[in-house]
Amino acid sequence: MSDLTVTALLVLALFALLGSGVWIGLALSGVAWIAMELFSSRSAGDAMAVTIWGSASSWTLTALPLFVWMGEILFRTRLSADMFQGLAPWMNRLPGRLLHTNIVGCAIFAAVSGSSAATCATIGKMTLPELARRGYPDGIVVGTLAGAGTLGLLIPPSIIMIVYGVSADVSISQLFVAGVVPGVLLAALFMSYVVVWALLNRGAVPPADDSLSLRRKLWASRSLIPVVLLIGAVLGAIYAGIATATEAAAIGVVGALLLSAVQGSLDRRTFVTSLLGATRLYCMIALILAGAAFLTLAMGYIGLPRHLAEWIASLGLSRFELIVALALFYVLLGCFLDGISMVVLTMGVILPTVQAAGIDLLWFGIFVVLVVEMAQITPPVGFNLFVLQGMTGRELTWIARQALPMFALMVVAVLLIYVFPELVNWLPRQMRATA
Amino acid sequence: MRAALDRLYDAAAWIAAAFMVGLLAMVLLGIAGRQLGFYVPGTDAYAGYLMAGAGFLSLAHTLKRNEHIRVTLLLSLAGPRTRRALEWWSLAVALLLAALLAVFSVRLAWQSYAFHDISTGNDATPLWIPQLSMAIGSLILLVAFVDEIALEASGRRGRAAADDQQHVE
Repeated sequence: MSDLTVTALLVLALFALLGSGVWIGLALSGVAWIAMELFSSRSAGDAMAVTIWGSASSWTLTALPLFVWMGEILFRTRLSADMFQGLAPWMNRLPGRLLHTNIVGCAIFAAVSGSSAATCATIGKMTLPELARRGYPDGIVVGTLAGAGTLGLLIPPSIIMIVYGVSADVSISQLFVAGVVPGVLLAALFMSYVVVWALLNRGAVPPADDSLSLRRKLWASRSLIPVVLLIGAVLGAIYAGIATATEAAAIGVVGALLLSAVQGSLDRRTFVTSLLGATRLYCMIALILAGAAFLTLAMGYIGLPRHLAEWIASLGLSRFELIVALALFYVLLGCFLDGISMVVLTMGVILPTVQAAGIDLLWFGIFVVLVVEMAQITPPVGFNLFVLQGMTGRELTWIARQALPMFALMVVAVLLIYVFPELVNWLPRQMRATA
Repeated sequence: MRAALDRLYDAAAWIAAAFMVGLLAMVLLGIAGRQLGFYVPGTDAYAGYLMAGAGFLSLAHTLKRNEHIRVTLLLSLAGPRTRRALEWWSLAVALLLAALLAVFSVRLAWQSYAFHDISTGNDATPLWIPQLSMAIGSLILLVAFVDEIALEASGRRGRAAADDQQHVE
């Protein structure tokens, strides 16, 4: 059979299995099984067991369950309940006023949760009613929330970055550090958009709340500041080279437990629900990773990644064209797959192509995360759109239209990191110098 | 029978949760050792084994809570009859794959035992011990899929596909 037939057959099998609703992790191992049976003489079953065991017990992955757990603990503290009250007093003076609570709130919560749908839902639950009560226009409120919710993927500690790091064999610590500048950049782009919008639509923004003294402001944010400090400490430990990503995650779990104990939200029940919640969330990701590990092995046997790399090289695309093509591909794929599945599914196949084109894998990781973020707010299937649809009861198309400016800003962010790769590479290089 | 099965999934999940705590303890022990100058060999490897155990042993429990993700686009668009057919197809494929995983996981642990396979790391653990978690976890997952199929056949299965995928990135 020719390579083309092989590839077409496998892709078809994959889409049939995924599309018909087979659990994603199992669907991936199913396709891998077919590939192994057809194209390799090695026993598919033994290869599967060894590969899955190896990936499930690898030391580099241990950061993942710990960060998931840290997020689940912090999620159950007073943080989310106090987010709006804590942020609002600081945002009153900016043009666009409390609209910024959406963006900054998401950015902070992003650091905690690492999931964009959860970020969107948690912040939206606080800000949507408060902003509506004060008379902020619906469109921009929903739009900024949809866009900023995706920061969950980019601002570390990010689950999807760990998944990318493990799949592409890139240091998780460096990925985290590399995500900081683009994450802040994107948040700044969103905020600038709100400022410009507010200046153009002066009448649309309701008057400011009463301003508070600095002490009152600090008091209002008392449950936010420790969390921000904790995240800062976790990232700082990674950046300074004191701790590996896993160790920083373990410290983060302990810190989160202490924090919630001090706030009085830690009892037997919250401890157990956060622990079991984290175990299940980790298990869900682990099943996908297991399937993907086996699929990557099978792809290696067929030589598909190598052939794809050769084929794409023969097209003679420029690097920019390749990047654009990949971005389109991911946004399309995002129409029916979630971010983690997208990353693990494609990494096994696409990495040789990326390497052959001379693209730095650290940079590519940040690029992929940005593009996956874009996929979260593109119709017909974007998880953030679904979340917002559930919360506002508006039509999906309307929400997608409100989110469109944010989508455009993400395109700008991708272009910026393409033109100025230092935005990604500079901070991790500082880290390497100190370590 | 129902109660016994649910107890099985939950018991496995509790052990998985205990492994999560063990994973945390293992990493903290490693940190403490480095700071205080004592050395416990193999904390890295044990952390990996505990993580694997946490994942495998909670497979069935997570399935039962509808938290394993799947693409529900077609399922939610389909009419009741197509939908039922798709559910049966998904369950059949999943059962087959879970059975394969269970068989070969058990075989892997058995072979590690028979050939005295020892970890290449400095923990020198006989590998069949941690691999038991994979064997047992995937067996329980297989049981859970058989259970799901029995529930579907008797029309008592919860409408999994209707749930949105809240926790997904």
